[in-house]
Amino acid sequence: MTTPLESTEPAVQAAGSADDSPARRGTLRYAASKAGGALFSIAMVIVGTFFLFRMLPGDPVRNLAQGRNMTPAQLDLERRRLGLDKPLIDQFFDFVGKTLRLDLGTSYEYKRPVLDLIGERIGPTLLLAGTGLVIAVSLGIWQGTRAGWRHGTRFDRFSTGVSLVLWSVPTFWLGLLLMMVLGVGIGPIPGLFPFRGIESVDAPDGFAYVLDVASHMVLPCLTLVAVVYAQYLLVMRSSLLEEVGQDYVTVARAKGLRDDDVRRRHAVPNALLPTVTLVFMRIGFVVGGAVTVETIFTWPGLGQLFYEAVRVPDFTLMQGTFLLITVAVILMNTLADVVYHILDPRVRSA
Amino acid sequence: MRKWLARFVALGVAVLVAGQGTTAALAQEPAAGKKIFRVGATQSMDSMNPFLAVRLVSTSIHRWMYGFLTVPDPKTLAPSPDLAESWTTSEDGLTWTFKIRQAKWSDGQPITADDAAWTFNKMMTDEAAKTANGPAVENFETVTANGQDLVIKLKAPQASMLENPVPIMPKHAWESVTDMANYDSEKYPSVSSGPYIAVEHKKDQYVKLQANPNYWRGKPKIDELQVIFYDNPQAAIAGLKKGDIDLLGRMSPQEFEAIQNDPNIEAWNTQGRRAAYLQVNHGATTTDDKAVGDGHPALKDVKVRQAVHYAIDKQKLVDEVQNGLAKPADGSIVPPMYKDWFWEATGEEKVTYDPAKANQILDDAGYKKGSDGVRTMPDGKRKLEFRFTIHTDTPVEDKLAEYLTAFLKEVGITVTTVKLDSSKFTEETGTTGNFDIAISGWSVNPDPEEVLATHLCSRRPAPNGEGGGTESFFCDDTFEKLYQDQLKELDRPKRVELIKQMQERLYTQAPIIAIYYTNDLEGYRKDRVTSITPIPEDKGLLYGGSGYWPFYTVDVKAAAAAGASGESGSNTGLIAGIVGVVVVLGLGAFFLTRRRKSTADERE
Repeated sequence: MTTPLESTEPAVQAAGSADDSPARRGTLRYAASKAGGALFSIAMVIVGTFFLFRMLPGDPVRNLAQGRNMTPAQLDLERRRLGLDKPLIDQFFDFVGKTLRLDLGTSYEYKRPVLDLIGERIGPTLLLAGTGLVIAVSLGIWQGTRAGWRHGTRFDRFSTGVSLVLWSVPTFWLGLLLMMVLGVGIGPIPGLFPFRGIESVDAPDGFAYVLDVASHMVLPCLTLVAVVYAQYLLVMRSSLLEEVGQDYVTVARAKGLRDDDVRRRHAVPNALLPTVTLVFMRIGFVVGGAVTVETIFTWPGLGQLFYEAVRVPDFTLMQGTFLLITVAVILMNTLADVVYHILDPRVRSA
Repeated sequence: MRKWLARFVALGVAVLVAGQGTTAALAQEPAAGKKIFRVGATQSMDSMNPFLAVRLVSTSIHRWMYGFLTVPDPKTLAPSPDLAESWTTSEDGLTWTFKIRQAKWSDGQPITADDAAWTFNKMMTDEAAKTANGPAVENFETVTANGQDLVIKLKAPQASMLENPVPIMPKHAWESVTDMANYDSEKYPSVSSGPYIAVEHKKDQYVKLQANPNYWRGKPKIDELQVIFYDNPQAAIAGLKKGDIDLLGRMSPQEFEAIQNDPNIEAWNTQGRRAAYLQVNHGATTTDDKAVGDGHPALKDVKVRQAVHYAIDKQKLVDEVQNGLAKPADGSIVPPMYKDWFWEATGEEKVTYDPAKANQILDDAGYKKGSDGVRTMPDGKRKLEFRFTIHTDTPVEDKLAEYLTAFLKEVGITVTTVKLDSSKFTEETGTTGNFDIAISGWSVNPDPEEVLATHLCSRRPAPNGEGGGTESFFCDDTFEKLYQDQLKELDRPKRVELIKQMQERLYTQAPIIAIYYTNDLEGYRKDRVTSITPIPEDKGLLYGGSGYWPFYTVDVKAAAAAGASGESGSNTGLIAGIVGVVVVLGLGAFFLTRRRKSTADERE
């Protein structure tokens, strides 16, 4: 996805002092080229975003009228207010200039700057999706390691099977099921957890507030983890399987190390690389939130904001959130490349 | 290390589960003794600014917050005094004088005619302020205030003056607003004249309103009214079942069935204010009578439209598409809940399901059936192949399309379904005219003037193909004349008669074909709500009525009273605590045994 652009980096390279070790210079050089590539991608995304959202069907102004009786004069006024009366090329430069100044425009729907809205929503999203990611990754790596190390055992078949079933289940369905069983309660089981929003309407203060938010997080987090942890498990399991038969593992065993140590000190670090890449790629998407999960549980995050923007449709808001999500993914991809470079000597020498 | 991690996770889970109980208990604390009524909403609010808000949920909340000149009477739905305690009309019907009630805003300032004059003048001079209710002041020449007297001079007589939908805003709190288009009105507490004051709003989460002690009818029986937002209807239903909310309106028949057997929920099923109809492209034009769009030429023939009408089995649609929770339409777009205005076809004129008659009409008019069973135009050029335009993601409309296709196949007409997302749908069926038959519907207000106006010539798009707000591209001299006459008719019975004639004209000309009137489906917690009065009071609507009356009259059990909600709260806490302990012990035991086992394995 990222294209290295050698020409963009001399400035950065010149900054490196002469007494740096060659390896370190190599890493810096590599990082700079990746950063250049990322910048190019971001520029393309900005251009793409502008045209993409103008190709969508439906006239935003007519749409805002929502079937009300509006005179052409009123429509013109709205159009001027939204800057849609200018030629496309002017609109484009307007958009690029403002985006570079981090001005993402004003939402049609909320009548507030898009950046403010994103600022409000990013906290809950990071909290939910971040926690979900950490749990899913830990669970996936833990189960994947065990399953791969002893593949073919009952634990392997069971954990892989369960995770694959959950992975195949539609998120919406699973979310609603959890809502009915653990939220509303069935038969003698009472509803244990709240399933709407991030806090109670009459939320308490202090530590009780933390508990309140935590309890609101249980169901969305559970749904989020259940449907995604399989990928970490499978990647971890298959890369560990590759390592199990390697000579160095046999050597480690021959040295008389405990099985646990062979796994933990020798096999796992080598098998971890693909998972790390996957994790970094997912971090980018964390910003986008989990649109479905946020929508089921009315979680006030970016996913919900994006859903609302599509529902209206609110073009500036869609544009802004879309831009943010893509930029986050690009940055995290770049970071993944760089981290990979640091983690794996083979990539460095190549 | 893994063991510690596992213990830590287990502890976390336990704290959470146990904490849930504590929180429930704590959350009750500040609310103890208070009477709180919680309403669920699945539509998101567009604005707290009444000059801008158009969505049903927003306008409902504003009806609870602000007074109007008049409001529908809770019994008859006829206009009755609100902020205007009385009014007079000049001989020519052009000058209306409203006497504004001696009352106070929620901040203690007196309500004067000046507030009302400011509100209307703002709308007449500021384009942005017209966003929500522009048409309501279109006919105003001048609005002036003199003490408690508000004088409105009209350009032309208007009988529906007493149905003015504009909330009166406090001048002292609003006159500093310069950029109305971008004013979100998120200032709390709000300055209100209605039964409630908005005190807090978290976008897409909740709105909190408190009883207004200065409300002129007297303070509401409850202390707090909360509107709680859900992103999807399933979650809102779950919220009602759990008791997180006390009332949920605007349910679909399928959602309604989910609450019907719940012992704690009163399932509310009454006649609604919505009419569902088919919009037939009978030759769409702009206001300068230039044809637009690509409608099928056969539909220009009123005989074809009538044949289509005869071919539709409305009872079947009600039974199978609406699960029986609607009434087949034998009238026009005004639903039967408005007893005064409702018109129903009788005798010769009445169109009942009769495919044989539909075939007969088409045969007689020269639309011959081909060898494939599909009819062609009398000139033999085009087959009767119509598109039926519906919205994407609406299962009910999908089902409707299936039935309509089958009905029209019986009379030799082929139907293909076109699905459009809502913005494209509005454009094609309301402006560009690129459709043959489309689904539509309207929630009708106590005065049907506005819904009838959507079929006026002037509502068609302007010559440049923009604007307007037509529901049918209808432009009919008889209909126009009746509309003008009813505007001037200040005698209510006579005006009712004219409005019925307009509905009759729509029925016989069939630019639209009403198919059914959907029921108002709601549900409320009977274990919490002790009394609530619908509007109209006799088998009326609650949330669906979008009036303040049910929300002003509602009474609920106080939070401290050991009602069902309090009890289940503490129960939940106890059970959650027990579950927490069990989980900790279970997980602890699990990991301990696992640890032993794995060490044993390794030692082999």
